[in-house]
Amino acid sequence: MAFGLIKYGLSPRYPGKRFLSRQPELKSSYDVVIIGGGGHGLACAYYLAKNHGVKNVAVLEKGYIGGGNTGRNTAIIRSNYLTPEGVAFYDESVRLFQGLSEDLDFNILYSERGHFTLAHTDAAMRTSRWRAEVNKHLGVNSEVVDREDLKRLVPSLNLSEDVRYPIMGALYHPPGAIARHDAVAWGYAGRAAEMGIEIHQGTEVTGLEIEDGRITGVVTNRGRVACGKAMQAVAGLSGVMANMAGFKLPIKTVPLQACVSMPLKPFLDPIIVSGSLHVYISQSSRGELVMGGSTDPYPRYQTRSTLDFIEGLMAHILELFPFLADVPILRQWAGMTDMTPDFSPVMGETPVKNYYIDSGWGTWGFKATPVCGKRMAETIATGRVPALLQPFRLSRFEEYSLVGEKGAASVGH
Amino acid sequence: MKIINCPLNGPRNAQEFVHGGEFVAMPDPHRSSDAEWSSFVFLENNTAGVVREWWCHVPTAYWFIAERDTIKDEFIRTYDPSEVFRERVEFAKPPAQGS
Amino acid sequence: MALNPSTLPARSFLYRELQKFGAVFGEVNGYASAMTVGADAAAEAAQARSLGLCDLSALKRIGFKGWATAEWLTSQGVTLEDAPNRVYPQGDGARVARLSKGEFVVLGDLEGRSTLPDRLGGAWSMASANGCFRVPREDASAWLTLTGAEGGAMFAKVCGVDLRPHKFPNNGIAQTSLARMNAIIMRADRGNTLAYDLVFDLASAVYLWGALLDAMAEFGGKPVGLDAIKALG
Ligand SMILES: Cc1cc2nc3c(=O)[nH]c(=O)nc-3n(C[C@H](O)[C@H](O)[C@H](O)COP(=O)(O)OP(=O)(O)OC[C@H]3O[C@@H](n4cnc5c(N)ncnc54)[C@H](O)[C@@H]3O)c2cc1C
Repeated sequence: MAFGLIKYGLSPRYPGKRFLSRQPELKSSYDVVIIGGGGHGLACAYYLAKNHGVKNVAVLEKGYIGGGNTGRNTAIIRSNYLTPEGVAFYDESVRLFQGLSEDLDFNILYSERGHFTLAHTDAAMRTSRWRAEVNKHLGVNSEVVDREDLKRLVPSLNLSEDVRYPIMGALYHPPGAIARHDAVAWGYAGRAAEMGIEIHQGTEVTGLEIEDGRITGVVTNRGRVACGKAMQAVAGLSGVMANMAGFKLPIKTVPLQACVSMPLKPFLDPIIVSGSLHVYISQSSRGELVMGGSTDPYPRYQTRSTLDFIEGLMAHILELFPFLADVPILRQWAGMTDMTPDFSPVMGETPVKNYYIDSGWGTWGFKATPVCGKRMAETIATGRVPALLQPFRLSRFEEYSLVGEKGAASVGH
Repeated sequence: MKIINCPLNGPRNAQEFVHGGEFVAMPDPHRSSDAEWSSFVFLENNTAGVVREWWCHVPTAYWFIAERDTIKDEFIRTYDPSEVFRERVEFAKPPAQGS
Repeated sequence: MALNPSTLPARSFLYRELQKFGAVFGEVNGYASAMTVGADAAAEAAQARSLGLCDLSALKRIGFKGWATAEWLTSQGVTLEDAPNRVYPQGDGARVARLSKGEFVVLGDLEGRSTLPDRLGGAWSMASANGCFRVPREDASAWLTLTGAEGGAMFAKVCGVDLRPHKFPNNGIAQTSLARMNAIIMRADRGNTLAYDLVFDLASAVYLWGALLDAMAEFGGKPVGLDAIKALG
């Protein structure tokens, strides 16, 4: 890659290649069909081919790859969760992310920034300590810092006590990072396609064929396709797909909005999150401030931006960074998230045999793209759910053994 | 701002309301299996289309029922729960515990 | 005659705020209450006609709620109609605010002539009033009145409901969000002066008091004492 840059940097004869080869005809049958061409579906396809040699695979995407939440999120990557199960799982993802540009030979602009979860109340300080202890116990770099540390580490932050919720301290997670989210989808797609995986855009799954409780095929707008196994990774539309498969999920589809400001000179290196103020903010490599908050107040299948959101968000952002008052907002958008009651995902087997699920990613699933892809590929290829995914099984609800991560959600919900 | 028509208070800003979840019948807590009860507590129809739900107008703590389209984000009808509940919902006494 | 509010066992949660304006306190229902707030009663009455805010928390009030509450209140001689979100004046100066089918606040009058709040408090018991429960409004809710011709325009800054006098009738009730707090807003004109009674969580009294005065400043609004409100008739 670096060689190519030197060789062709100033040459008009750069042999640019198409990212994905021309879309093939849909075959009548595949070993594995993956429904949903977001980061999760594409990563799973990549690891199926790379780690397990399973290459007769089709990824079916109703729109374009990465056009769902993968291309709408605010790209925060971290592993400072609350439960041992969650921390172990997200930690594997952070490690995969750290080597992902190399692995995919594609720059995902992985940028380690450090991540601060501000605490404005005694209760939030307590949760910070709790998380720091669980994190350290599992080898994750995470500690509680006080106002003096914050003054040094985030000089632009408003530490005044003359605000509604003065900052008392924070949970500091140095490995916290951001990445170019589309690049993650493209990188996985490009490499998967090179290994023979078919990626079909504009291909919507409209029905499932199930015989004797086992998946045998999917119906699409381009015809019927038989399959040995299938996985759904459709984020906000998880419930709609599960409905086709004949089971219910503990998932509500709720819009989540975000926005970016016009580009500013770099002043904010770390990622700043405040649960009490329901906001988070980071500065992208382009200089734009990327800002988000909690999910919309009620469920729906819609991606409309609202004034309420931006008003509420800004009221709180300005408590943290009052000098941003005159900065214009450039873009605002929403994605449909698949929210679970315990703020943990739902992964693995379903009541339908050979039909797997990757869902319940809510507002936190971008960071899990590599580990989920890798471990779901393992599940599909071997037919066994790895220990790392076991805690997140769908049946945990029936067993009343939830994995409560609400306390580690980026913002209070 | 979205306006919701509260059966008690009339049209109000959406910020005055909280969403209370799907309107589903509660199974008898003393007689349902673990699976039935967990399904009631956790599982969602999460319908894309017209749904029936509980909503609460917060300043009056008033609960009502709304029919809403989750794709168009439109409220079709809101009404007082007395339209559905004519009398108090009672469950029979729990079966005796222990031996 | 000036009274030191800390010498009385009961005083408004706003008394320190009122002191900042130079309030002169008097005793109302055993409560230290601001009679004037820095000016003389006549000047404050003029202020109240334009835009004033007054603390009525010393006045009697009591709440009831439950499926049989309307029946019980009627049996106690209260006159009511079915429509909720209306205030029903009782003739003796007391007013009964019907918040819903089953929830009510009974408000005493400025002069303390009505005995209704005390009478209902004495008559009620868990055993005798089946399906009717006490709501301790006197201990849980603050009570302010916002008066004057500019009131309708001022409210547009802090409330989503249109409270202008031609849209919001006298004795109408809006239970809504006021400066981001839940509040019961009742139109309660005094004489010929437009007025609104505000009943809300007393723990946030200092906040709402400050927020309202801030919003009123643009219209020349100021705090006034009980004497000014009495002068409105
Ligand atoms: C505003 C916002 C901010 C976020 N911020 C963060 C963050 O900072 N950090 C973080 O970790 N996570 C974040 N998330 C969550 C994260 O974006 C998602 O959890 C993650 O991207 C989910 O990836 P996915 O591949 O499962 O879903 P998606 O990328 O949504 O992919 C699903 C795909 O399935 C397709 N599909 C749906 N139905 C069908 C069908 N019937 N047939 C064929 N295809 C279908 C869709 O078109 C879509 O492309 C955020 C989300 C949003 C909306």
